[in-house]
Order: sequence, then structure tokens, then C-alpha cells
Amino acid sequence: MTFIRALTSACAAALASLCAFVAPAEAQTYPTRSITMIVPFAAGGPTDVVARIVTGHMAQTLGQSIIIENVVGAGGTTATTRAARAANDGYALITGHMGTHAASVPLYPKLAYHPEKDFEPIALLAGTPILILARKDFPPKDLKEFVAYVKANAEKVNAAHAGVGSVSHVSCELLHSILDIKPVGVPFNGTGPAMNALVAGQVDYMCDQIVNAVPQINAGTIKAYAIATPERNPSLPNVPTTAEAGLPKFQAQAWNAMFAPKGTSPAILASLNAAASKALDDETVKKRLLELGSVIPGPAERTPEALATLVKNEIAKWTPVLKPAT
Amino acid sequence: MDIFANLAHGFAVALTPINLLMCLIGALVGTLVGVLPGIGTIATVAMLLPITFGLPPVGALIMLAGIYYGAQYGGSTTSILVNIPGEATSVVTAIDGHQMAKQGRAGPALAIAAIGSFFAGCVATVLIALLGAPLTKLALAFGPAEYFSLMVLGLIFAVVLAKGSVLKAIAMIVFGLLLSMVGSDIETGASRMAFNIPELADGLGFATVAMGVFGFAEIIRNLDHGAEMNRDLVQQKITGLMPTKKDLLDSTPPILRGTVLGSILGILPGGGAVIASFAAYTLEKKLAKNPSRFGRGAIEGVAAPESANNAAAQTSFIPLLTLGIPPNAVMALMVGAMTIHGIVPGPQVMQKQPDLVWGMIASMWIGNLMLIIINLPLVGIWVRLLRVPYRLMFPSIVIFCAIGIYSVNNAPVDVILAGVFGLVGYWLIKHDFEPAPLLLGMVLGPLMEENLRRALLISRGDWSVFLTRPLSAVLLAIAASLLLLTVLPVLRSKRDQVFTESEN
Amino acid sequence: MADTMGHTATATRNTQVALGFCLLAIAPQIFEFIWSIGTIFGWGAGRGPATVVISHATALLAGAPSTLMGAATGDTKKASSEVLLALIYSYPIFVVAIVTLFMTIRSAQDYVGGVILMALALFALWASSDLQGMRGFSFGAGTAPRMFGGLLVALSAGIALTGLLTDGPTMAHYSWRGPLFVMAAILFFALAIRPLGLVVTAFASFMIAATGSHETRWLEAAIVGACLTIGCAILFPYVLGLPMPMYPRFMIQ
Repeated sequence: MTFIRALTSACAAALASLCAFVAPAEAQTYPTRSITMIVPFAAGGPTDVVARIVTGHMAQTLGQSIIIENVVGAGGTTATTRAARAANDGYALITGHMGTHAASVPLYPKLAYHPEKDFEPIALLAGTPILILARKDFPPKDLKEFVAYVKANAEKVNAAHAGVGSVSHVSCELLHSILDIKPVGVPFNGTGPAMNALVAGQVDYMCDQIVNAVPQINAGTIKAYAIATPERNPSLPNVPTTAEAGLPKFQAQAWNAMFAPKGTSPAILASLNAAASKALDDETVKKRLLELGSVIPGPAERTPEALATLVKNEIAKWTPVLKPAT
Repeated sequence: MDIFANLAHGFAVALTPINLLMCLIGALVGTLVGVLPGIGTIATVAMLLPITFGLPPVGALIMLAGIYYGAQYGGSTTSILVNIPGEATSVVTAIDGHQMAKQGRAGPALAIAAIGSFFAGCVATVLIALLGAPLTKLALAFGPAEYFSLMVLGLIFAVVLAKGSVLKAIAMIVFGLLLSMVGSDIETGASRMAFNIPELADGLGFATVAMGVFGFAEIIRNLDHGAEMNRDLVQQKITGLMPTKKDLLDSTPPILRGTVLGSILGILPGGGAVIASFAAYTLEKKLAKNPSRFGRGAIEGVAAPESANNAAAQTSFIPLLTLGIPPNAVMALMVGAMTIHGIVPGPQVMQKQPDLVWGMIASMWIGNLMLIIINLPLVGIWVRLLRVPYRLMFPSIVIFCAIGIYSVNNAPVDVILAGVFGLVGYWLIKHDFEPAPLLLGMVLGPLMEENLRRALLISRGDWSVFLTRPLSAVLLAIAASLLLLTVLPVLRSKRDQVFTESEN
Repeated sequence: MADTMGHTATATRNTQVALGFCLLAIAPQIFEFIWSIGTIFGWGAGRGPATVVISHATALLAGAPSTLMGAATGDTKKASSEVLLALIYSYPIFVVAIVTLFMTIRSAQDYVGGVILMALALFALWASSDLQGMRGFSFGAGTAPRMFGGLLVALSAGIALTGLLTDGPTMAHYSWRGPLFVMAAILFFALAIRPLGLVVTAFASFMIAATGSHETRWLEAAIVGACLTIGCAILFPYVLGLPMPMYPRFMIQ
């Protein structure tokens, strides 16, 4: 069944591309062909899942398919560089995140793009809360004890992270700068191995996005001290916010947002923004994103202007935290 | 007796028509992906991920799993026929498998690879069902120190599998280690030996280097004057398609041993599966009465690593199914597929999603059965492919390799790099350096360095952790004794050589 | 009589080998020079040819010796990357080349192979010389590359030494036609796949590669190449769903 469907769609695609080949595109309204969405991380990762869920719905609105292209490398900056240099005709977009479009600025001194100067913001898609997690037999019982313990034992504790520039690395650097300590950071190759080490008790704590952590917390293989958002998350109702637990200064979210290369026409940006906003209002999209523990931005936060402000503020926020680290 | 109820439930899920079809598609696509040089499982699973949006989650995962282990079957085909290993695990198969093909015994080599894989797949599937949960402890017992020692052991395997000079083999491993250092440093993010080339920022891809030093180099070498003769000989020599009784008898113990080794190593998430085939090959070479046959077309050298890598491919699902933690990039994609369907796997996935877990386990057995049914008749077709004149074959291989490498990252630079490594490989051949240890060094290099640095960070620079942690100490002891076993005879023969020379 | 003849034969061989090594010693500099010619035509970024020649020549002839002297007198000034290249890479190879003149090579295969491998290792040492080393107990980015680079220098020296001490095969014959055309096909593929698309590129690369063998029959190759191109055009984008351009860019727009 599905195979036949795949086959027919393949034939249709072949025909379509043949038509495109025979009769060059006439003056039509955007989009006239499929759009490429660059995702700067591996398929299946948090950014990828958000991008796929949202673009899946946007494709219906726009009437053209959106092809996801996963380009991995150098903390997402390889892909972002490519997107910055892509043609600004609206057919190459990127779903960036807090790392590629904010933290990368202080982290990579030789960055080949600038998030503000080389991109047109389209819309904020989702925010993913960050948790403070620890191995299940780590002595502190709550966040206050954790802060005291880590400060007292800064020479002994090990913080895991998923590689330089990853959300887990960047957000733990923020935590450390608030606590004014410099514990040893143990790098892993991605969140999977880092989580494995935390479950196995080889490292003491880490800061990570909610997606990977929820099942482990529920199963009791690791524990969560706090969630770094203003409100508790429905998927983890028992985990207090950092404000409740006594560390209000630690606020961090891994946000995902859609960008186009600089100079893309305002009409195209507007139609993309409208499609993205429509996707975020869709019940199935909403449900899926909420299942992931994401926070869906309200209408006011979805505008390109709001995203531009967010990028500006985030760069300002991360620069002092990450500058001395490199 | 839970197990039987669970397995029965699993088969009930896996045997529904839609899931059977998914399994078949997965196995077919996997075989195709494995056969095509350069096209990796990661890229294909990533491409097929959107399709799984519209499928029920169990079916989707059965298909993705089918691609994963199907590619292990297909990967051996290209290694044996044209000496191009598509994945790290089939590098070893290429060593003896391609030699067999050159002697006109491609048929038996392909068949034994399929049979070994099937047997290993069946055993490993049962192992997952029976012992999946307790075996998880092994995955958690391996910390950075243990992984470092395992990688050291892996590098010693590379020395053993070399057929020529030990010194040259070690030099090749170190060369591979150096190549693996290219790219960004894991701890500081600093760019190393990348010369500001963005495509090198994340290091040299395995496929790029393997296509170069194996694929392109082999082609260039075959175009040399005087090489035509050998090629024509191969075409005349093609004998039986199926293994003889003696082949089967010779291969049975290696298949058994390979299965055991592969099953154990596959559970370790940090690169255990990669060294399974190397370990199996080394074991056979050490046990063989006449080790010099290895590297010159020994059927054990195909049977053991192929069984090991397929067993490892199956048992590497254990951390995913019991802990919910993906042990490699392909499994990370499967987790992505699950999250898209709203299932976030965790330690309780077995209790919460029995359909998914047991359906997948049952489907693996069915998939292996399908794969052997697909692959055995294909042997005839593949062997017939060898009769295609080389003047038409080699440009086709060049194109397939080029497209394959390009498709990994959509990066033209990767294709050029593979070409450069083709020249490097040609140079290696001319100076009698072996490419297999180089590739192993390249694969294990990052794992070794990262785990060494992690272990030292956690121990605060105390090198004794490698000896005070029992598992790590045992692994290092095995590595040391293996090295002694390999180097001693060489030293002795060198000494004999010196003596005989001085006598003359 | 026979002895002297043999001697002169190896002597000429050795001079050739030594000259080859001298060329190898400045290969990176030559490569950068060739690369820099492109900048005249506006291809790629980098320094112009004149700057490249001047900076490398001064580094080789003046900068490096003075740094050496400086190091001897305890003056530790930070050396530029060109000077480092000369010091770490070129000078040792020059030394090897000079030593080669006075040696009897008993296995050219091992000796030359070992020296080229040593050159690669030295180059890696230079390439990782700007990286940070150990910081307390934690490895820096440069520790491991330098460690393995050093190890490889030692191992390749061992291999070269084997080539001097034990008898072995001489240099194997390198042919040029196969490598040249296969490389040309690969290079063409890499440069053309984006602008020209899969169909044109695959066929053209097939034909270029086919030129690499003197056995090729043109009509047959063209037919097979066309069939292969059609097969690839169906297989990769549609069956496997890999995104790649199909037709030349100018024809689509």
C-alpha cells in the first residue's frame, strides 16, 4: 500500500520535475517549488523534531513540500553558514536555535556569519525548557542543597555536557557563572552518551533539555532539581521552577526559530510567518509540541520583530557568560 | 514464562500484514543501501524519517530497524566484490572476502557472509529477548576508563590483522589516529588541522577516507599496465556459487565464536559494535593452525567478522530498548522517529510500550529470515556482475562512489577529499602499506582520545584509574598479552633472519 | 668492476631520490603558491602569489635560521607560521635528503615510503603547533595530535631505517594515465554536481573516467554511461530520496 503510494508520489515528483524542466517557471506567487529547510543538527534531535512538526503543517498551508536537510557539524554553525550564503529567494530557510543564532557569537571567534546581520527573522517556533539534572545518588536533595554542595565541592564535582556549543554546555556555563564556580566539565559526543553517563553515575550533574530527561526522571534513574522557566511544565508537574527553588537568576530556554537569508523579500517573509503562526495554532501541532515538553510562543512572541529582539537579547545574555570560556 | 508470553505477543504484532510489509521494505532498502558504496545508513534513515510520519509507530520502527541490520548484510557484498567497505564494520570482511573473489570464490564468500549473518542475527535476537534487561548492566558498567582500554585493545587487533610488517601496521594505525584528529576538539571546540576549510570542521568522514583508500585506490591500481591479465584470470576462475561442505565445516566454529563476541561487544554503546568484527577476525587468526592464510582468502576471515557485526548490530538495540538511550547515530534517529510519534523512550519503554519493544524484537528475527531469503539468490547475480568487463565496471564504480560520498553531507569537497585519499591509497599500495589498520585507527582514534580525556578529567589527572578499575585492567592485560603474542614471533624471526644472513 | 658499476648506479638513483625529497620539503609552500595564483583571477580567498613567495622565501632563508639562533641564545620570540613550517617541516626533510646522498638504499620501497610518511607526520606536527597543550591535568586540543605526530615520526624513521638495513623490493612502478583521468573525473564531479546537476555530471564523469583505460571502446562506454546515468537519476533521488540537483541550474531558471 504505502510502497505503491510512495511509488506513485515518486512518479508524480518525476513528472513534476520534468515539467519544471520543460516549461521554465512562469510568474507565479511564492512558493512555486519545494522549499528546503536546513536543520543544523542530526535528524531526530530536538531541533529537528520541532522543525519537522511545524514544517509538516506549513507545507499544507503553502501548498508546496518543505524538504528538511540535516547538515551537522561544528555545533550547527556549518549549516548556519551555508544558510547565510544561500540564495535569498525564500527557497532555502533554516531552523536555528539558541546555539546557532546567539551563543555561537561569543563561542566561535571566527564565525562566518552574524545572526543579526545575515538573517531575516521569520518566527519563533518553540521553547524547550532546561532542567538541572543529577545522578540519582547525588547527595543534595533539593536545589538549595545542590547550590551549597556544588559551591563547597567545586573542585570535586563533574558536570557532563554534550559537546562545546551544545545547549547542555552553554546552559551549564550560565549556571556556573551565576554560582561563580568553575567545576570540571566532562564533554560527551551528544546528549545520548551524556545521559548514559549520568544514568550510570559516572558524572554528577548536567543541564539538559526537557525532551530527553522526562522518561528518565519518571523512571527514577536520574533526578531533577529544577526547571529553568518561569512556570512549571505540565509533563513534569513535580519539578519546581528555579524561582521557586531559590535560584531565580537561572533562566534558560533552548528556543527554536525560523530564519531566512538576509534580503529575502518582505512578502515572502510575511507569508512564511503567517504559515508558521498558523501551524502553531493547529491542535495536532500544539499537542505534539506539548508532548515534547516544549513551550509554544504566544501570538505576540511569534512576530519577526519579537524574534529580532530575542536574538539581540540572547546574544547580549550569552556573550559575558561564554566569552572567558574560550 | 513471561518471556514466551512476551515473544508470542511480539510475533502477533510483527506478523500483521502491514508490519511484515514494513519489515520487507526495511530489509530491501537496507540491502540496497548496504550494497551502494558511500550511501550510509544514517543518511538513508534520516531521509526516510519523514515517511514514517504517516505510519503507525511500530511499523515505522520495524522498517527503520530493518534498514539498519539489512545494511549490515548488504555492506559485505560491496566489500567482497569490489573491495569497498561502506561501513567501518565491513572493513575486515574486505580483507579476506575480496581475496576470495579474486580467486574466483566470490560466491562462497557472499553465501557464507549471509549464512553467518543469519545465524548471528537469530542468536542475538533470542539474547535480546531473554537477557536484554540484565545485560543492560554491562552497558552501564563501562565508563570512560573502560572504553579507553577497550579502544587500546581494538588498536592491538588492528596490528594483528595486518599480514605484512608489524612496524608498518603500527605506523598505519598512528597515521589513522592522526587523520582522526582533524576537526574540532571535543573539549575546547578548537579547530584542529582543518586549515579553515568548513567541510573539515567536523573531521574527515569515514566514508570519504574508506572510499578513497579502498575504492578509488583499487581502481587506479587496476588500471596500471599489466593489471589486465590478473583481472581476466579472475573472470575465468569463477567456480561454484555455493560454499562446499568443507567451507561450511571450516566456517561453523568461526560463526559461533563471532556470534558470541559480537553479541557481547554490541551491547556497549560507545563504539563496541565497531570493534566486534575486528575482534572476531583477530580471534580467528590467533586460533588458526596456519595464520598466514589470513589476508589471502581464508573463509574464516569472512565468516567470523560478518557474524560478529550482525550480532552486534542486533544487540546494540539493547541500550535503546532497556534504557531508552540511543547508542549510535542511527538509533538516535529511531528515537527521533519515536518522539515524532509522541513516544519518548526511557527505562520504562518495555513496560509502557510492549507492542513496540516485543514487536521490534520479533520483527528482527523475521527480518533476518527475509534477508537470507533475499540474499542467497542474489549471490548468483552479484557474481555475474564480476563478469562485466572491467573497462565498463570501473567508471561505474567511480560514479557510484562519487554520488555516494556527495550524498552523505551534500558536500562537493568531500568528493575531492575522497579523490585525494584515492591517491594516498595508491601510494600506500605502492609502498606495501595496508589500508585496513589505517581505517581502524581512524575509527577508533576519536573514541580513544575522547574517553582518555574524559577518564582523566573525572579522575583529575590520575592515570592509575586505568589499572585500578577491574574491567579496564582486564582489558589492558588482554591487550598487552596480545601485543606480546604478535610481536614476539616477529622479533624472533627477525633475529633468525639476521643470524642466517651473517652465516652466509 | 661490477662493484663500481653498481655503485655509480645507486649514486645516480640516490641523487634523484634526494632531489625528490628536497622538492617534498617545500611541497606545502609550492602548493600554497599554486593556490595563490587563483587569487589573481578572484578565485578563493588568500594571499597573492608575490606575498606567498616572499614570505616563504624569507622564512626559509632568514627567519628560520635566526629563530634557531635565537632559541640557542635563549631568546624566545613567537615565530610566524611560515617560520614554523620551515623549522618543523622543511628543515628536517632537507636533512633527510642530504643524508640520503651518503646512504646505500637496500629497499627503496621501504625507505621512500618511510620518508614520505615522516613528511606527513611532520606536516601534522606543524599543523597542530598552534594548538593549546596540556592545562594541568586536562588535555589541551593539541596534546593528542602532537603525541601521535611525534610517534609517527619515530615509526616512519624506523621504516626508513629498515629500508637502509635490510634488503627488500625497489620502488614500484607508478603509472599516470589511470590516476590522472580517475582524479579528473572525481574533480569534475565535485565541481559540476551543484551547477550542472546529476544527469550531466554523472555522464560526463563516466566518460572522463573511461578515458583512464586504454581498453575503452567509445560507443560501448557511451551507451553504458547513458544507461547508468538514467539508473542513477531514478535510484538516488527517487528510490532513496536523497536530495540532489538533477538538471543544470540555467535550464531550471
